[in-house]
Amino acid sequence: MSKVKYKKSPGERVSELIINILLVIIVFVMIYPFWHVLMYSLSDSRAAMSGGLFFYPRKFTLITYRMLIRTKQIFIAFKNSVLKTVLATFFSLIITALTAYPLSIPGLKGRRLVQVYIFFTMLFSGGIIPTYLLIKDLHMLDTFWVYLIPGMLSAHHMFILRNFFQAIPDSLEESAMLDGASHMDILLWIVLPLSKAAFATQTMFYGVSNWNEYMDGVLYVNDQRLQLLQVYLRQLIYTDGSKSVLSGADLAASAAVTEESMKMTVVAITVLPVIIVYSFLQKYYMKGIMIGSVKE
Amino acid sequence: MNTTERSKWKKQIGYFRRYWMLYAMLIPGIVYITVFKYVPMYGVSIAFKDYNGFGKIAEAEWVGLKNFRRLFETNAFRRAFYNNIIISLAKLVFGFPAPIILALMIDGIRTKWAKRIVQTSVILPDFVSWVVIYGLMYAIFSPNTGVIRQVASVIGYNGKLPNLLADKETFRAVIVGSHVWKGMGIGTVTYLAAITGIDQQLYDAATIDGAGRWQKTWHITLTGIRGVIITLLIIRIGHIMNAGFSQIFAISNSAVVSVADIIDTYVYRIGLTQGRFSLATAAGLFKSVIGLVLVLFTNWISKKVDPDSGIM
Repeated sequence: MSKVKYKKSPGERVSELIINILLVIIVFVMIYPFWHVLMYSLSDSRAAMSGGLFFYPRKFTLITYRMLIRTKQIFIAFKNSVLKTVLATFFSLIITALTAYPLSIPGLKGRRLVQVYIFFTMLFSGGIIPTYLLIKDLHMLDTFWVYLIPGMLSAHHMFILRNFFQAIPDSLEESAMLDGASHMDILLWIVLPLSKAAFATQTMFYGVSNWNEYMDGVLYVNDQRLQLLQVYLRQLIYTDGSKSVLSGADLAASAAVTEESMKMTVVAITVLPVIIVYSFLQKYYMKGIMIGSVKE
Repeated sequence: MNTTERSKWKKQIGYFRRYWMLYAMLIPGIVYITVFKYVPMYGVSIAFKDYNGFGKIAEAEWVGLKNFRRLFETNAFRRAFYNNIIISLAKLVFGFPAPIILALMIDGIRTKWAKRIVQTSVILPDFVSWVVIYGLMYAIFSPNTGVIRQVASVIGYNGKLPNLLADKETFRAVIVGSHVWKGMGIGTVTYLAAITGIDQQLYDAATIDGAGRWQKTWHITLTGIRGVIITLLIIRIGHIMNAGFSQIFAISNSAVVSVADIIDTYVYRIGLTQGRFSLATAAGLFKSVIGLVLVLFTNWISKKVDPDSGIM
């Protein structure tokens, strides 16, 4: 923190110790639930029920995972969620960049008007029902499009990206214009390569929220074939229906597995992709939040 | 056409030639915003109509404020409004200071790797959905199989444990607690960034003057990030009508609906599951309008406090 050294008073040593202990507790509270669920999912059901499961699996087994693999719906839900996340993020990035770039050009007439037009949607919205009726009128209920289109552009992320584009020196763009490049060329070959960091964070923002957000799956989709993983998980946790996924599995195996173990396993496989992505990208995520917190 | 007009015209053409592609790029975004944001705003007109979900909105009969009057006569709506405010205020009171305190604690960590570990782990909950968090809470708090059961057995208690996730007495605490748990870590990022911006010489000077750690934290760090705190507080207050739809939708159940039903869940229930579109839209509109007024008002205050702050 500081280059100047000073002697700590005993009182300060004590308070520092207390803070450190508190921090350890906080870290534990943040991490442990994830760890516990993972360990539970890796434990034998009966051993887990009998207690004493805290930090490592009791009677390690992958039986719940094997059973889940044999069920069809989990594959469908997983595939839908992956497909939604990848495609929706891709579409979002394109439309966000296409909107943000023109709005970053100072000389563009009407720029302010468009910005106000978009900004107002951050302050006021039609709400759940009118949006639902619109999507119904567009015949998007129970189609995959409902995952991709209605949430395509986030005004907030668009403004963050615009700020980023604005920071790119105009001289680069002007010299490219003199060389005969079009604005599309400039966006593709100059602005985008210079904004890799911004795109990494945007990809994460959109990607994480596409993976986690499930209200579209609840509000607009009934078709099981289009179910999202989060919705499937919600259904399993709530309805005590975990064992119904075992219907395809053999009875001898299902007798050895409890509802609890199945639930924990589905939670684990919903979380795992996020944690893997997180461990690679959390540095960018933090940076992205910092960019976002800087005022326009 | 005289010469000045002609040159003006030429200028216009030149301008358009130079910039037409930028306007073309804007088309998808503007179309999207118009269709998916502004058309639903027109759709709120059904709050003033009698619309049952069939036929065209434009053809439905106008009924003035009847839906709103009905709404306020409904106990369930009044309850949802009350819950909305209570839950939101509790989240503000407990959820707002938490990241500030945590950020100060993290800032005090001297060892680099320890700091990294703490930062990385506190942000983790922001990455998972509320459905997953419900699953985690279930794993911890389930009275039969959860961690609390196992801890209880270890200390020799085998009696009945309360089901915190389905108890009216405790459920609001669960909502607020899980909100703090999820948001505390990610909330520190902005404050830590602001703390990095504080001039290091201030600390050195204070040390030479004999200031202790607390004094420095109070007089330099907190003073240094005061602007950020005020701005974020104002933004937060502006969004007080949002009590957390996806959270409450994911974690609440019929046993606790009386303490956990907020306007959004109420709208969902009477609108999409009971098909009372006009009433539900009226409830949603009521919420949106209060929200809009609050945002504009808090923004105005924020400009009074500091002309550079605010969101507009």
